[in-house]
Amino acid sequence: MKELLIVIPAYNEALNIVRVVENLIENYPQYDYVVVNDGSTDETAAVCREKGYQLLDLPINLGLAGAFQAGLKYAYQKGYRYVIQYDGDGQHRAEFIADLLEAAKGGWDVVIGSRFAEKKKPFSPRMLGSRLISAMVRIASGTKIQDVTSGMRLFGPRIIRILALNMNYGPEPDTISYLVKCGARVTEVQVEMDERTAGESYLNLARSMVYMVQMAISILFVQAFRKKELEL
Amino acid sequence: MSLVLRVVLIAASLLTTLYIMKKIRNSKAQIEDAIFWILLALMLIAISVFPGIPTVISRMLGIMAPVNFLFLFMIFVLLVKIFSMSLKVSALETRLRNLTQEIAIRNKKEDEYEETKEANEK
Repeated sequence: MKELLIVIPAYNEALNIVRVVENLIENYPQYDYVVVNDGSTDETAAVCREKGYQLLDLPINLGLAGAFQAGLKYAYQKGYRYVIQYDGDGQHRAEFIADLLEAAKGGWDVVIGSRFAEKKKPFSPRMLGSRLISAMVRIASGTKIQDVTSGMRLFGPRIIRILALNMNYGPEPDTISYLVKCGARVTEVQVEMDERTAGESYLNLARSMVYMVQMAISILFVQAFRKKELEL
Repeated sequence: MSLVLRVVLIAASLLTTLYIMKKIRNSKAQIEDAIFWILLALMLIAISVFPGIPTVISRMLGIMAPVNFLFLFMIFVLLVKIFSMSLKVSALETRLRNLTQEIAIRNKKEDEYEETKEANEK
């Protein structure tokens, strides 16, 4: 068994999943991976079975948080030291996993694959949300995280158990903010990401607004009152 | 609104908010579910601290006493909440049924797999 498990949550990613997983198998055999099929209604699970991929097949749709947690639980039970959250649609690039892993081995609990660790964040409507959440996290936790909405995050041994077994630790910015407040050591490593090549993004304008309100209340209000369960 | 009603409203809304925060603090609720109650608690506090809000709205709607508007409004909010919870329960039941059926089917497949394996070994 390797020390790092790549968890790939996949919801209706039949068009992308083969390319993503084949790349990992061929070029990155030093890592283990597992695809978490989140109750897809397309051929995602069938494709994975046919190709013989490592697969956690959830019978119903749990959403990203539930699917990723399934992967974390699997990693925790199998005893992996590091887990990375990796997109099933091909946005994330595997050559940067090594950089993230190295940072984690250097003692960081959470390593975010950041598009803006060294590069400047562009002024676009899409980045406005990112800036707002970044500001909220800074107010709540006192730490500046440039790319807080990045979906490429690596978690170390101190964090995996907590994320795997508890409620309210979804892979979202509010959890990162809460972890920082609890004393987790969070850092960013510069990565590049690709645009989605197939399928549609989940976020439209209305959903983005709801998401922003939820994140604002959660980061500024809920996490402020939340008991610090972590012993870090 | 009378002074007594205001005091009772403020006290009740503060206590409710405290109770909600305590439950959230101990992670008894999922954050998505807690958000509704936080917003409701904040609104309760706002209404009780600034009684002008319900007074103005009830005048606009032609309701004689602001307290009647409050009743109407609260009942409406709770109705909507009950309806959304009813939808959620339906969804949960469907998921539970699917899950149970899926487990049974997977167990059966596993049994079949082991039977064929045993048969092959013999």
